[in-house]
Amino acid sequence: MPTKLKDLPVWPVVFMLGFLLVWEAVVDLYKVRPIILPAPSQVAVALAQRWDVLLTHLLPTLWLTVLGFALSVVGGIGVAILVTYSEVLRKGLYPIIVVTQVVPKVSIAPLFIVWFDTGLVSSTLLAFLVAFFPMVINAVVGFHIHDEDLLRMARAYMGSRWQIFLKIRLPNAMPYIFAGMKISITLAVIGVIVAEFVASQEGLGYLIKLSGGLFDTPLMLASIVVLSAMGLALYGIIAWAEKRVIYWQSVPGAEAAAAPA
Amino acid sequence: MLPKAAAIDETPNRSTAAAGIAAPAVRVESVSKAYGDIEAIRRADFAVAEGEFLSILGPSGCGKSTLLMMVAGLLGPSSGRVVIGERLVDGPRADIGVVFQSPVLLPWRTVMENVMLPVEMQHLPREAHVRRARELLAVTHLEEFANRLPRELSGGMRQRVSICRALVIDPRILLMDEPFSALDAITRDEMGQELLRLWQIHRKTVIFVTHSIREAAFLSDRVIVMGRRPATIVADVRIDLPRPRALSIEETEPFNRYVRTLRQAIEANHAH
Ligand SMILES: Nc1ncnc2c1ncn2[C@@H]1O[C@H](COP(=O)(O)OP(=O)(O)O)[C@@H](O)[C@H]1O
Ligand SMILES: [Mg+2]
Repeated sequence: MPTKLKDLPVWPVVFMLGFLLVWEAVVDLYKVRPIILPAPSQVAVALAQRWDVLLTHLLPTLWLTVLGFALSVVGGIGVAILVTYSEVLRKGLYPIIVVTQVVPKVSIAPLFIVWFDTGLVSSTLLAFLVAFFPMVINAVVGFHIHDEDLLRMARAYMGSRWQIFLKIRLPNAMPYIFAGMKISITLAVIGVIVAEFVASQEGLGYLIKLSGGLFDTPLMLASIVVLSAMGLALYGIIAWAEKRVIYWQSVPGAEAAAAPA
Repeated sequence: MLPKAAAIDETPNRSTAAAGIAAPAVRVESVSKAYGDIEAIRRADFAVAEGEFLSILGPSGCGKSTLLMMVAGLLGPSSGRVVIGERLVDGPRADIGVVFQSPVLLPWRTVMENVMLPVEMQHLPREAHVRRARELLAVTHLEEFANRLPRELSGGMRQRVSICRALVIDPRILLMDEPFSALDAITRDEMGQELLRLWQIHRKTVIFVTHSIREAAFLSDRVIVMGRRPATIVADVRIDLPRPRALSIEETEPFNRYVRTLRQAIEANHAH
């Protein structure tokens, strides 16, 4: 479906512009120092002038986010399949997964640094860990067929386990998997940024921390703008793919609540 | 031949012999089923002739679905056995089509793709079966909807799709578990007539589960009445009404006598 002009979110844009104008006016009126709070125009200037620095730090963050997210999708769906087909794992492992998702995963970041030192492994692992739980839980719900007659129908027509998985469970799970992915991608960004705060020499998280230390608040806010744009773009890609993959649903499937990062 | 009260065979064990049937397509032999402490079926015994339209009539919760699922090979009996042709039923079979209370269509598949599901699962030749699917969709007035998704269809149309899906593999036996009970009364009457029309063409052996007395009498060659707990067969009634049947038959005295006979059988069981 092509986006029509009237589908564009006019009101949010109006509100956002209004907010930025008020911000600009307040900073201008009270002569707030840029170290405390730069005006939107100053952030824009920082974006324009420092784009090379921002881009340099955007790329590792983007790359690790995508990597951690991809691992969580593959791992989450994999574990969900195991839990679906193994009664032992469903009874033994799954309750543990459900309970441990309450643990604030970012608190484990320092431990990863002890184990893997700073850099790529720690960041990816944290992103994976944070994004993993909503994937597993959504996929498990999706692979479960509530309607007993549906499974009976498939068995009556001599569907093999593999056919039932491929033709019934997997498509049934797709709306849930996408709901999980939309949560996970947001969490993966958080995971990478936290890892970069504590254990990295590059990435937007590092740049935010660094510019804070240098009292370069315009650059810090510019980094946050770039980071938000990145998160929004990744989320948008998934939402776009979702619309195309799940063509049979007019209303989006139930979205599970986000787990604490 | 007009029905009399004596048409009720109080000893269902001999029902096959009483009916004077040749080779039975399905034999249910002393089948019992318990779910833990709950005794769902106690010693059910009956046979269905090749090409016969048999209804199983009983109040909800009496074990009709349980019995049908055992015939389908989807549920194992606690004791006794089901034999189809010469073979013991010990699992799902390729020559049985099943229609459930809800259409259980796959929402991501078009009507045609849904109908073709059993063909895919059994790795049958595609071309020939697409042709057969088209014929079935034409007979059930679904031709123009072949490429639509289930959500675009009405409840009655969806159930017709599920009947086409059951017939696409040309099964010998068609098992139907209250297939019209979720539909409104008018659609339900239409569906009954349509089913009979299909049955006139394809002449399957049908076991049709229902809790509607009129539906059972209208559709069937024979009706087995199941009583409440412990679920046993309490009556076996042959419906000698001419075919093809139109809805107008429900106005006739013979039809209503059958309805009374069936109701009495159910109520007699209720009394004690
Ligand atoms: N899977 C099951 N586990 C336990 N009890 C069941 C199960 N399925 C059916 N029953 C019980 O068996 C009885 C018969 O059920 P069912 O065959 O569905 O009846 P009907 O189709 O006539 O409504 C009911 O009392 C029901 O509660
Ligand atoms: Mg039932």
